[in-house]
Amino acid sequence: MNNIFPLIALLIFPGGLFLMASGLVYEWVDRKLIARYQNRVGPRWFQPLADVVKLLAKEEIIPTGVSRGLFVALPVIGMAGALTAALYVPIAGFAPSFSFAGDLVVTLYLLSMMTLCLGLAGANTTDRFSLIGATRTLTQLFSYEAPFLLALLGPAIVAGTWNIAEINNFAGQNIWLVVTQLMGFLVALVGLLGKLEMPPFDAPEAETEIVSGALTEYSGRGLALFRLGKDVELVVGLTLVASFYLGGIANPLEFLLKTLGLLIVMAGMQSLFARLRIDQTVGLWWRIGALLALVQLLVLIVVRVLR
Amino acid sequence: MTNQSQPQKFIVPIGPQHPALKEPGHFEFGVDGEIVTSATIRLGFVHRGIEKATEDRTWVQNLYLLERICGICSNIHGTVYAIGVEKLAGVEIPPRAKYIRTIVAELERVHSHLLWLGVAAHEGGFDTLFMYSWRDRETVMDLLEGLSGNRVNYSTNLIGGVKFDINEKQADEIRRGLDFLEERTHYYMKVVTTDETFLGRTRDIGTMTREQAELLGAVGPTARASGVPRDVRSESPYLAYNEHPIQLQVHDGGDLLARFIVRLNELFDTYRLIRELLDHMPAGDLTVRVPRRIPEGEVLIRGEAPRGELVYYLKSSGSDKPDRIKVRTPSLCNWGTISHVAVGHKLADMPMLLVGIDPCFSCNDRLVTVNNTQNSQDLTWDALRRYGIEYYK
Repeated sequence: MNNIFPLIALLIFPGGLFLMASGLVYEWVDRKLIARYQNRVGPRWFQPLADVVKLLAKEEIIPTGVSRGLFVALPVIGMAGALTAALYVPIAGFAPSFSFAGDLVVTLYLLSMMTLCLGLAGANTTDRFSLIGATRTLTQLFSYEAPFLLALLGPAIVAGTWNIAEINNFAGQNIWLVVTQLMGFLVALVGLLGKLEMPPFDAPEAETEIVSGALTEYSGRGLALFRLGKDVELVVGLTLVASFYLGGIANPLEFLLKTLGLLIVMAGMQSLFARLRIDQTVGLWWRIGALLALVQLLVLIVVRVLR
Repeated sequence: MTNQSQPQKFIVPIGPQHPALKEPGHFEFGVDGEIVTSATIRLGFVHRGIEKATEDRTWVQNLYLLERICGICSNIHGTVYAIGVEKLAGVEIPPRAKYIRTIVAELERVHSHLLWLGVAAHEGGFDTLFMYSWRDRETVMDLLEGLSGNRVNYSTNLIGGVKFDINEKQADEIRRGLDFLEERTHYYMKVVTTDETFLGRTRDIGTMTREQAELLGAVGPTARASGVPRDVRSESPYLAYNEHPIQLQVHDGGDLLARFIVRLNELFDTYRLIRELLDHMPAGDLTVRVPRRIPEGEVLIRGEAPRGELVYYLKSSGSDKPDRIKVRTPSLCNWGTISHVAVGHKLADMPMLLVGIDPCFSCNDRLVTVNNTQNSQDLTWDALRRYGIEYYK
């Protein structure tokens, strides 16, 4: 009987089914919001689910010239990484299912798995669009990852712990960290856009240049898993940023309000800007993003030392 | 059309089927990382044999066929053709018909430029601007539908006049629509010239100097954005452009931003011109009689399409069918500028660079490639027919 609860946590709540369902809902909200901002009608509420069901029902074509094992395994690994990461964050306002000192670092690495899998998936095929897409995906990974990490370290340093649950509690008891660490919040939010390859950071899958980037050769099950994985990552990322910077997440209502609020801001950013070229993305992150995050970190350390 | 500076390593094919292309064309970009080192353009996927088909139809029937050369600037084809035929027949159309032709041609320019603005924004990944400009384009589409009953192929022209009149009520509707569009165009001008992310994709991208533009024979807004003051409407005014001249819009930038500015400024001038034409419409008939058989002769006639200079060559042998019709559309003149300018830019700039000339693929697919490398041979008609059947078997 001892194994029942961890299993439920993994398969139904907060991992597994719940996470996928909420991922699909959040994808719909995102798409609908952008559509409304752009004066379109937007998809119906079940459209993301319908897309996944349709993709799962379709044949998965494995192109020639790829390593078959890798081609099939990569979507699964990416998805697993995103799902595992969810176990360490306060999804839906409940305490994380698993927690240990330093789980912040593990979570961040698990979230990066998805991007790595995307890059590998692109590099695995011989398709030229995929290869360029993979290069861009990995280039983008190197540009936003460090600032994003630094931005999430800010709250960790203030809270004096690397444990997500403790940082969440700390954020809930003190003034919202977005007030004291505005720069870090901005970098984290924009970093999330970069991580999820959303506009204006969608150069890795710019349809007008390289069709669908690293995922060009994927169809059926693999594509469905990658898309689901990204939706899950959206939920996990939103939860992480909301719990660190928006005064913690203590109950389901707070979770809904804060993550959806963040999503509204993100959807606005997605529809406001033109797509950045990959060199512009790298330049932006290292010239402005990293600098902002570093300045913020420096200030935090100095304040901490002076106390 | 090839331009190579280095041996190719990695070629990115765009087309014939590609999400960036709304019509089939084929482009091969040799890239070194993200930098484009060579560019090759291949056209001809939508060759429809229209020029040949015109020889089997009467002068009147051809009006309908030629209007379908282009889906965006359909009206100007019919207009230029009709002007040419009237010149051959030696008839002068009533002044009111001239004004109506001019108004529809300018409304078409409004719709075409707004369409281009949306497509260019989409290629740059700025979908919000795309959606907004296409929403506003509906205004001018509705106006054209109100006038002619059609949204795309307006069928304005007859040989010897126009089909419909513009009454006061319609004129007021047009004025109201133009007021709305002018306000929106001011907004787009502001977005295009001040939005930092969008400027990052257009400023100093694809810069073409005036010398290059003249050398490569660029036409239309593409040439005008490089400082070449070339516009058929002011060089050799036709229709009502004599009485109501346009203000030539030229910009010295030569880059994509300059092309945006030139086209948007042209929109402002077009709004002014349409209002002026509506205020000064002469009264009178809409058509004159034109004989069914057009006298023997040949004529070369030019008009300014939204994309640039459109040239028609018509030859008549005195029958009710043309002997030869040759069309040269503006897109064809501008293709060369792309392969010339592309080298050294980023791959991400290519879609915008392609769209920067406002290309229309099926317009210019009227070419025959002459293969010089193999021994050519003369074929009789029957042999050619057999060859064709074998080839496509």
